[in-house]
Amino acid sequence: MTRSQTDIEVAIDWLVLLQGDSVTEDDWRAFDAWLTASSAHAVAYDQAQAFDQRLDLDARRVDRAPAVAPVAATVSTNLVALRPTRRVWLWSAGSAIAAALVAGLVLLPGSGLLGGRETRYVAGVGERRTIVLEDGTRIELNAASRLTVRFERNARHVRMDDAQAFFDVAKDARRPFLIEAGDTQVRVVGTRFDVRHRDGQVAVAVQRGLVEVRPASAAPIRLRAGQGLSHVEGQDDARVAVVPVDEVTGWRQGRLIYRDRPLSEIVGDLNRLFPRPVKLADARAADMRLSGVLIVDEQDAMVGRLSHLLPVRTTTTNDAIVIRAR
Amino acid sequence: MIRLYGEKRANLVRVFAARLRSVAEAEDLVQDLFLKVQALGELEVEGDGSALLFRMANNLMLDRLRSQARAGARDENWRGLQTTTLGDQPVADAPSAEDVVAGRQRLDVMMATLETLPTQVAQAFTLHKLDGLSHAETAVAMGVSRSAIEKYVSAALKALMAKLP
Repeated sequence: MTRSQTDIEVAIDWLVLLQGDSVTEDDWRAFDAWLTASSAHAVAYDQAQAFDQRLDLDARRVDRAPAVAPVAATVSTNLVALRPTRRVWLWSAGSAIAAALVAGLVLLPGSGLLGGRETRYVAGVGERRTIVLEDGTRIELNAASRLTVRFERNARHVRMDDAQAFFDVAKDARRPFLIEAGDTQVRVVGTRFDVRHRDGQVAVAVQRGLVEVRPASAAPIRLRAGQGLSHVEGQDDARVAVVPVDEVTGWRQGRLIYRDRPLSEIVGDLNRLFPRPVKLADARAADMRLSGVLIVDEQDAMVGRLSHLLPVRTTTTNDAIVIRAR
Repeated sequence: MIRLYGEKRANLVRVFAARLRSVAEAEDLVQDLFLKVQALGELEVEGDGSALLFRMANNLMLDRLRSQARAGARDENWRGLQTTTLGDQPVADAPSAEDVVAGRQRLDVMMATLETLPTQVAQAFTLHKLDGLSHAETAVAMGVSRSAIEKYVSAALKALMAKLP
């Protein structure tokens, strides 16, 4: 495994090695060391694994005829035809993707209460929008998100309703950038960071620079690059931890990366991406926890991968997908 | 040991998901491992505790494989994928015409990509992935070493991953 290989190529080599018939303690030690060396390695590996599982799924639906007998002695002399007659049983949906591509940034300029101009930005289900504000600040808005921007002489204000966004704030020492997410205030001068305000919880992850967060009535907390804060609205405290910022912001590249998250949260994310609702049939399924990478493509494919990663069964009807514990 | 388990858990799942071809089964296995580790209590382990964790998990896996008719379980899983139950009625998960087209396109890309690859790479991939032979069985079928098979399968996966979404 040479340096010139990309992480993903090395990850594939590992995956194939581990799928071999004899894996030794030394293999495990080396693999563990590689995974631990960089969080990018784990991401690459999980991606390779997700891809491989998808392939397995595809391969299972290829009904190759005639079936090749296991270890047929003739195989080595008689090359296996690459295009045998086959039936195809793939159901990866193409319909949902269309929904994911409809654009629709709704601009509702209104009159701000405090004099400044107030602009409301909406990204609907399945949409992801990049907004460039007049000061050069870039906001990437995740699906199903709403926020309001108001610029004043002394401050730049953003109010996040139910939303997740990544901010690349233009530096302006005289006009601090203030974000209000529920009962939590975020204050920055110029920096890059992610704010998620969903279901009564606020999470901030800082990619670069310094961010000051004040959850509810607590004292302001300063976060450096690589740190994150999570807070439940209505409570007085918050948790600060080192977070893998690239994972938190994976949605910007169309990847949802989870570490030990409940299925209910993942279903929530799916429902922001696709109009056809995904529902959980029972509490056991809702509480199942997932670690892994979900690549955002088509709804059926994503749900299909979920049912590979977790012991669940899915039922698809015209107006919903129901997930229940297996 | 319990702390070490916490540190290594995610990596153990990754290894055994590859071994078992199922993240769910790997999660299950690593959960079982936790019970074993807990039973060890505060025992201080001499030497490489992480290697011990791996060995324990590996033994658990072998026990499981012995105690279940593996092929049968796989078939069952596969049936589970093709059919779903609506209420109590098993319903064939018949794909819509549109979906079949999308799926066939994906498969065509896969097959077309395989055809651009060196013969041995394509053959190893076909035997292993599509026909379900293990690395060792593929090696016997093609008359090459297992490490050669791993190289071929790796190369095919890399090429496919570059071509398929």
